[in-house]
Amino acid sequence: MPKTAHSTAVDTQLFARYRPLPAVTDELVDASGAMRPAWAGLISHMSGMTASEIADAFARGDQHLADTGVFFRRYGDTGGAARDWPFSPVPIILHDTEWRDIASGLIQRADLLEQVVADLYGENRLVAQGHLPASLIAQSPEWLRPLVGVRPRSGHFLHFMAFEIGRGPDGRWWVLADRTDAPSGAGFALENRVAATRVFPELYGRTNVHRLAGFFRSYRDALEKLRGSLSSGVGILTPGPLTDTYYEQAYIARYLGLTLLEGDDLTVENGRLHVRTVEGLTPVDVLWRRMDGIWADPLELREDSQLGTPGLISAVRQGNVSMVNGLGVGVLETQALMAFLPKIAQILTGKDLLIPNVATWWCGQEAELAHVRANADRMMIGPALATRMPFETTAPHSVAGRMRGADGADLHAWLTENAGDLVGKELATLSTTPVYENGALVPRPMTLRVFLARTPEGWQVMPGGFARIGASSDTTAVSMRQGGAVADVWVVSDAPVEAVTMLDTPTAAFLRPKAGPLPSRAADNLFWLGRYVERTEGLLRLVRAYHSRLDEAATEPLLATIRARLKTYGVDALEAFPKGLTATLASAVYSASQIRDRFSVDGWAALKDMEKSMARIAKTAEPGSDAALVMSVMLRKIAGFSGLVHENMYRTAGWQFLTIGRSLERAAMMTDLLAAVADPHSPDGGLDLAIEVGDSIMSHRQRYGVFTSRESVIDLLALDETNPRSVRFHLDVIRKRVDDLAGLRPLDQMWNFAAQVSALRADITAQSVSSLDTKAISRLHADILTLSTGLHATFMQ
Amino acid sequence: MKYDVKICISYDYDRPAVGGRHLVCLMPQDLDHTQQITSATLHITPDPAERLDRRDFFGNHLTEFSFRGPHDRVMLTLTAQLWRADAPHCLGPSASLTDLPRQLALCRDVGPQSPLHFLAASTRVPRDADMAAFARSYVGPDATVAETVLALGNALHTHMTFDATATTVDTPAAEAFAKRRGVCQDFSHIMIACLRSLGIPAGYVSGLLRTLPPPGKPRLEGSDAMHAWVRAWCGETAGWLEFDPTNASLARGDHIVVAYGRDYSDVAPVKGMMRTSGSQKSQQAVDVIPL
Repeated sequence: MPKTAHSTAVDTQLFARYRPLPAVTDELVDASGAMRPAWAGLISHMSGMTASEIADAFARGDQHLADTGVFFRRYGDTGGAARDWPFSPVPIILHDTEWRDIASGLIQRADLLEQVVADLYGENRLVAQGHLPASLIAQSPEWLRPLVGVRPRSGHFLHFMAFEIGRGPDGRWWVLADRTDAPSGAGFALENRVAATRVFPELYGRTNVHRLAGFFRSYRDALEKLRGSLSSGVGILTPGPLTDTYYEQAYIARYLGLTLLEGDDLTVENGRLHVRTVEGLTPVDVLWRRMDGIWADPLELREDSQLGTPGLISAVRQGNVSMVNGLGVGVLETQALMAFLPKIAQILTGKDLLIPNVATWWCGQEAELAHVRANADRMMIGPALATRMPFETTAPHSVAGRMRGADGADLHAWLTENAGDLVGKELATLSTTPVYENGALVPRPMTLRVFLARTPEGWQVMPGGFARIGASSDTTAVSMRQGGAVADVWVVSDAPVEAVTMLDTPTAAFLRPKAGPLPSRAADNLFWLGRYVERTEGLLRLVRAYHSRLDEAATEPLLATIRARLKTYGVDALEAFPKGLTATLASAVYSASQIRDRFSVDGWAALKDMEKSMARIAKTAEPGSDAALVMSVMLRKIAGFSGLVHENMYRTAGWQFLTIGRSLERAAMMTDLLAAVADPHSPDGGLDLAIEVGDSIMSHRQRYGVFTSRESVIDLLALDETNPRSVRFHLDVIRKRVDDLAGLRPLDQMWNFAAQVSALRADITAQSVSSLDTKAISRLHADILTLSTGLHATFMQ
Repeated sequence: MKYDVKICISYDYDRPAVGGRHLVCLMPQDLDHTQQITSATLHITPDPAERLDRRDFFGNHLTEFSFRGPHDRVMLTLTAQLWRADAPHCLGPSASLTDLPRQLALCRDVGPQSPLHFLAASTRVPRDADMAAFARSYVGPDATVAETVLALGNALHTHMTFDATATTVDTPAAEAFAKRRGVCQDFSHIMIACLRSLGIPAGYVSGLLRTLPPPGKPRLEGSDAMHAWVRAWCGETAGWLEFDPTNASLARGDHIVVAYGRDYSDVAPVKGMMRTSGSQKSQQAVDVIPL
């Protein structure tokens, strides 16, 4: 058991062995070498733990993150592969008196940036009066001309911001970067917090750590207040699953109870923004934009954007949408702007910046160019108009006097030639914070990302945030380039903190919130998830049946029939573990990955687990009984997944579409099989194959005896309304689910599809074992597949 | 000279499109001393569900419209009556190439007429080392900006071959330059890239060109064309100079201005995506008839 003593255990080994770096600020140790009081609880707690207890505690954090499937996805990685997200379990601890200073400094900066951006899209006095070079604005790719002169409906351009800050050797904080366009990371901060509480549950419980929920609650309320009418919705605009922070967007959408929308989910009619949902167009007029502005509308901005919504800017211009943040605020991230902000602060507010930004010089001015040239070894130099720091761009840049990304270019010649396009920034030295490595605490450089949200009561600052931690002891800001880890940030108070949750206050009457309408794209993905999972299962059964017959010396005609069926699904039975199977499951995983915000964490984990097992098994499977065995293992896993989904999923429209997909696929596969093996001319053994693949051997024995006949098989697998493997059973299911969906659309829009489903069901009800011959089965098969088209025409356009 | 202008653009889809939203930039501009519009109307069939006529940042006329129902044909018809000055607008003395940066640095304007919008790389005109090298070789000692514009425009006309089959509307300027072939859009983008590489603000002019029938032949209906040329900023006093590199001439009475932009993507005549999986065919006919 860890010791729970509260004493400032400065003499404990863990602390005694900690060696801060010379000439940098350390978060744990102050300038005199003493432990900062805010850390005492944590250090004492950790000192009381054995190495294996610490390992266990850290493993709990990792396990949590693994369970929730936290990952970054990066454009350009091979196949968009998922990547682990390293978490450093030791939080950074700041006292709330210090935090208050940070908060007021950042609020001042947020207000200043709002004034600047309002001027840049309004009167342009800063340029006219010479406080900002006109060429920087006119040449910035982030200054969006279609938005010039457009006042935001809410009165503000900025509603949600992030700042990257670091602490210098003198102990003062610096702003390293402004994130205004589509700041990411708020969800990571939340996830980090949950992971950190898993690592140090008792400690967290008894430490006065400011909670994050209050911030998110105020923010969500503020978003709702931005709506133009109560019937309108609030959504999060995402660039989609290929973006590196998609997981985080899905997570925060679930947490805040907001719909995650892609550009294609939205459409503009009469200057108003709507979501295409299974219930038709539903209005949405507040978008928390996680998509960079330039992609938002292919009609007026980047014409090659596949992510945007045509007409979105028109809706903004007509004052019918509030964007969080306003389109065009990316111009505030322009690197060169930091060179002018300190003076602009003086001019617009008469005050100095409470937290200075990193010293910056635009090389388009003679004196500044000379200064940068003379001090290049203490600077990073890069594109003036970029929205990222020099070392974060792919363009040629220089760090500490050394050129990067330009073969053999001479620094001074490069500076002379491109002066107007370049900016020099001081190489900030960062503070260090302890991370746990090989049984000891070691200092690593860190920066904080702090989040601000505008509410009717003013800016709220998230008490905490997340820290990026450098991978080595190099304390220049550049060290963050190599990635490193992330950690939670605890803002602690001497007094107990208020516990806030996302739930409404107990005094308010309980109202069950109504689920928002399901976007058509999500419905489509759920439908296909149902189909692909079911198809994977059906194929596993067929492949198993094939391999188990190889050893039984089954007749070749039957094997050829199975091979032909499998081939129509792209599965080559001659492979011990067919690639076509892996591909089918991959399609299921892909569909699920498009809808992470409405898919349970456990369901996702089960699906990924299945994919991993399949990849592993596929390498070693041998044709014959081994392959048959392996298919059985996979079948058990898939049953586990289906169980999870069907036991745990809310019976909302999403579930109906998933279920329709599953039933449609099962009915389609069964009719396909019966047409091939239950024909009077089918090869011997076909009927037994059908009841085996239809998982109905036991039922058949009980009802019809051991011997199969065409009649018994057709009755059991096609017509029996009580057998969950029969065609009839699944047409009944589809019919019921379509009845459930009936309220979603006006009757006239539903009519064709509902009639199609009813006709199909009436058809099979009227069939008998004698009338349902192969021709009738094939017709049934074709009709089942056309249901897919009807469903799309009704709900997904 | 006064003209009757007619532009007809049609799109045919092989499968009906389910709605769509478009931006059209076809309406000729009113310009202070060189072009005046008497009347102009844009007719759209089928009747759009929404229509909004407005101006863009640079002052160009835009029409934004959308369809809801399925349709397999869209027709845009612009008819206008206008006056266009026969001779190019007379410029004041051009700045020298060496003095241009100083004049630009003094500019504190980001309004639509500011030359500063036309210096940076733009969507269709990225920076290109080959074009920059080509441009440098046409800079004479102590040249003025205007002289440089003319020298470069004429040189491009000499080195490039007009070839409507060599490029499409989406061919990058660098590719057309490497082939030394293309149409007015390519000629213009290449000239813009060259001028910007020398620090000369340069923009794209979308317009119409009246073509004269061969001697003794009647004029064919629809035989005039949508056209593009270049404008370059020659300093505070001289202002903008318009040059047509495809025809190696200054823009004059035959050149009718529709829109000014940084490149084609600012002023594309028709923008918008179809929600259809099928392909589309497009046709256009332009008539510029002197009154």
